[in-house]
Amino acid sequence: MKTHNEEMKVNILSLAVRYALLATFALPLGAYADEADALKHPVNTVDFGALYSSQSSAKFGEYNGLKDEGFYGIGAFDVRGGDGYDQDKNSALRWKLNGTDLGTTSRNLGASITDQGKWKVNLGYDELQHNITDTFQTPLQGDPGANNFTLPANFGSVNGAGGLPVNTRTLTNTQLNAFHIEKEQTTRRNSSLGTSYSFTEQLSAQIDYNHLEQSGAKLIGTGAQGGINLLGGSSGRAEGNNIIMNPTNYSTDNITAALSWKGEKAHLTGGYYGSIFHDDYNSLSWQNSLASANSGCRGANCYTNETMSTAPSNSLHQANLTGGYDFTPTTKLAGGFSYGYNTQNDNYAPTSIPQANGTSYNMAPNGLPASSLNGAVETTHGDLKLTNQSIKDLTLTAGFKYNERNNHTDSDRYNYNHLGNGLYTGVNTPYSNRKTQWEAAADYRLTKSQKVRLSYEREDIKRWCDGVVGGAQCVASPTSDEDKVGLTYRLKAFDDVNFNAGYSFAKRNANFDHNFQANTGNYALPGAVLHGGLNAGDYLGYVAYPYATRAQNLVKSGVNWQLTRQVDLGVNGNYKYDDYNATLGVQNGHSAGVNVDVAYNYEENSSVSAYWSWQNGQRNLRSGTTGNGTAAFTPTQTVAPRNIWTNRLEDNSNTVGLLTKNGGLLGGKLEVIGDFSYALDSSAYSTQIPYGTATACGSSASLTCGSLSPIKNELISLKLTGNYKVHKNGKLALAYIYQKLNSNDYFYNGQQFGGYTPNRVMPTGLREQDYTVNVVALSYSLAF
Amino acid sequence: MLCGLLIGSAYAENTPAPAAKSAPVGKASDALDKDSECTRCHDENEKKPILAIYQTPHGNKADSRTPSCQSCHGDSAKHISSKTNAPDVLFGTKKGAFPMSEVKDQNKSCLTCHEKDPKRTHWQGSAHQAADVACSSCHETHAAHDKVRDKKTQPDVCFTCHKDQRAQVKKFSHHPIGEGKVACSDCHNPHGSAGSKLLVKNTVTETCYTCHAEKRGPFLWEHQPVTEDCTNCHTPHGSNITPLLKSRAPFLCQECHDGSHQSGTPVAGNAAGTQGGLTTVPSENFTGRACMNCHSLVHGSNHPAGALLHR
Repeated sequence: MKTHNEEMKVNILSLAVRYALLATFALPLGAYADEADALKHPVNTVDFGALYSSQSSAKFGEYNGLKDEGFYGIGAFDVRGGDGYDQDKNSALRWKLNGTDLGTTSRNLGASITDQGKWKVNLGYDELQHNITDTFQTPLQGDPGANNFTLPANFGSVNGAGGLPVNTRTLTNTQLNAFHIEKEQTTRRNSSLGTSYSFTEQLSAQIDYNHLEQSGAKLIGTGAQGGINLLGGSSGRAEGNNIIMNPTNYSTDNITAALSWKGEKAHLTGGYYGSIFHDDYNSLSWQNSLASANSGCRGANCYTNETMSTAPSNSLHQANLTGGYDFTPTTKLAGGFSYGYNTQNDNYAPTSIPQANGTSYNMAPNGLPASSLNGAVETTHGDLKLTNQSIKDLTLTAGFKYNERNNHTDSDRYNYNHLGNGLYTGVNTPYSNRKTQWEAAADYRLTKSQKVRLSYEREDIKRWCDGVVGGAQCVASPTSDEDKVGLTYRLKAFDDVNFNAGYSFAKRNANFDHNFQANTGNYALPGAVLHGGLNAGDYLGYVAYPYATRAQNLVKSGVNWQLTRQVDLGVNGNYKYDDYNATLGVQNGHSAGVNVDVAYNYEENSSVSAYWSWQNGQRNLRSGTTGNGTAAFTPTQTVAPRNIWTNRLEDNSNTVGLLTKNGGLLGGKLEVIGDFSYALDSSAYSTQIPYGTATACGSSASLTCGSLSPIKNELISLKLTGNYKVHKNGKLALAYIYQKLNSNDYFYNGQQFGGYTPNRVMPTGLREQDYTVNVVALSYSLAF
Repeated sequence: MLCGLLIGSAYAENTPAPAAKSAPVGKASDALDKDSECTRCHDENEKKPILAIYQTPHGNKADSRTPSCQSCHGDSAKHISSKTNAPDVLFGTKKGAFPMSEVKDQNKSCLTCHEKDPKRTHWQGSAHQAADVACSSCHETHAAHDKVRDKKTQPDVCFTCHKDQRAQVKKFSHHPIGEGKVACSDCHNPHGSAGSKLLVKNTVTETCYTCHAEKRGPFLWEHQPVTEDCTNCHTPHGSNITPLLKSRAPFLCQECHDGSHQSGTPVAGNAAGTQGGLTTVPSENFTGRACMNCHSLVHGSNHPAGALLHR
């Protein structure tokens, strides 16, 4: 470590900074007359400068605002004042103005003023642009954020007749030329206003309001409607996929108001929380060029007009009450109660869509039971916790929690044409659930340096739907319960070694109802339905993992050792194993992690620390399929060994970091900070089909078994910063950032032009977002 | 922790002050008089800027609630009489010149004023309280800039203990935590809460809807696991699979569906398409967005013709 210290002192960067700055700024150094006084007063700062980023990359600039190559301004300020900082004045008034990242789309501004102990007002503005991709291509015309996208008139259909492409793998040059890049991003602008007022030392009120404005778009998959008649006898191709831009023209108003009282032995807060979400649109429309292959229909008249819904506007109003009461100094009760009412009554998106042939395609030819949902959900929460420390060295805790989501929305029957143009009957199933939890724990100090904790938790869940048309069971697991016991041991061995180890075991017993029917339409109702039958259309014996009986074992342990006053070492690890009791479905899974940290604080303002984190996870799935000589799927079909397959997901993650801080150079004027990290993550899927077709499954024509190329992401990041104190009130900062991302992800394969997509998926050209970016930043910080 | 260590060291290295006054804190000048018993030794020469506390709310002496040094550290008469004795209450978790006070004693000092606060209602019996986390493990009371109360620097404080999360926020898909736009405390209340995992709201879904209100609905066609717990599919601290997913379609969907449509069909290298070695036309059921090429409204659909979450 010491060797490293010496290296840091003479590294090239620090030398360069040192001499460049000395030559440029030979300003006199002043000193505060009274250093104690200076410490008691805030240091106001204004930072300004510029940075250069070497490469355009949406991924590098995902959240930092640096998505384009070029120069950006650096701007930040932090100014504070008020008589409350002056100890000669009997005033508690303080104010603050601050701003950061002003030159990017991640800017933040704030202002506050307070007469501390009496009132406070604060204002805030926060902006965040989430840059999603800069490689998306589409032939659709329309700006991101719009809700209607059209194809150019000369694009032509994709239907395989009259010289037109057979499928999306063989697009014509005209069609390929219509593709253009649309950069996908969403922007959040959050404005806030808050105020608090203390009526007395016991009674105070607080109101916070924030308005979140969102714009931009995210990509979304779409399936086209089959059966839409086009000129020339053609029709729209069912399930033709276009990836389109889903607008996020949202606004959310959040209001929190609270009145708090506190007394000698009790405190109570009553409040209101309101969240009003508004979406400017209730539908999203686009044109689809994929048509059935039985016609020579050409041109704009061969596009089908499609529509889907967007997120519905909704609101939540919630009343909250929390508080506590001290029976004695060692026996305390705390608890809360909330009641919320969540409604949604946005008009449904249109089901009758005007088409090129002058007629309209009506998805719901038999009409709808309502024009909007009139949805209403009540949420109820209650909690109580009693703690007692009246017995020496023993702390007892007992608690209860209750959470209910009661969906009062009416269930109705909706008849419509599904994407395959067949009549479909869907019944909406408003889901409700109730969770009650009991917990008890005892913490006992065995000795001054040893402590043990024993805990028990009980959780009961009930799930249901009220008034479902036809009276079907809507949930797979109407009830479940889980018992969890835990034991934790802590040891302070000597003054400088802390050790802890813990184990917990949880057993969830889920009652499973194979007669349940999901809202995938499998109700005993008139009209054609898809995949009808028991167990929501899944094989008997299949259980979705959140609703399966499960045993969970968790072990964790860690040690922190302060070797010397300068050196700290920490090692911890954890292992969790989940075992599901399901004939089919997720069988088991585990997660494990190890973290090793070492820190060396070799001087007052100088340190070096390093860490390594390893994480591993595995999930094993067992599922069933048709084929291999078994009959086509029927609702009552049971799975035989010859049609069972398995899939394993294995996640691996390695992260290392090195942080150095070398202060006090050049007589205390220069500080050099280095921050390096390396992260390598992989996710690998492997499928095994042990029955008769195992050989065929591995052939290049099917590839339904074997290993899938892992999803790998490797991120290297280095940041070097030199801060040089030009004079007492001025600091120059020079920073260099290097960041490199290597991605390997099969996701993008089926998105490419030139015969790589499925037959009816329009290519997008989306690519892995590898980048190598160098950033140099120079800024000046003025303190006053 | 480092703060506590240095504060502890600092107290040990200075000349003891005269005997403490016992007058209660009243006017600003009274409070400062009381502080001066300590600050006459613990002055601007301290390695850690003790006096910077006057820049913080704890140093705004005209607020009648503002503590004096003795309010937190005790009268420390023995320490004042001899610098070889420790103050009554010494904050921190690492050894210094003196052993740190027991965590319960440190926290008791803070909770004297801060316990009856709606944000700390659930402190007693909470995960951090039970794990002997001291207030000073996270807060630097004397520093002008308390890192844990700043969105940009807070995660580093939390990562001191939560090291798995430190690695997870560096994954390919993540909330903008490292970028300083989302703080741990946006979702978690470290002082205890009624929700699981110290969540600020009563449930996981309520917490997520704070920023993602478009997912709240209620929708005409609900997806049951979505209504119960977002973490059935998402892992909020970071994932190798966008957007913050535990797994990818179709495999993710196959953890709950087997039978309808293609959900029971085994998938492997065919998901990688032609470039993955497949010699036949890839299927839209397995490549790219896979199931979500069509069933894209997985959070719920409000379209009257959208029972299958198509539109």
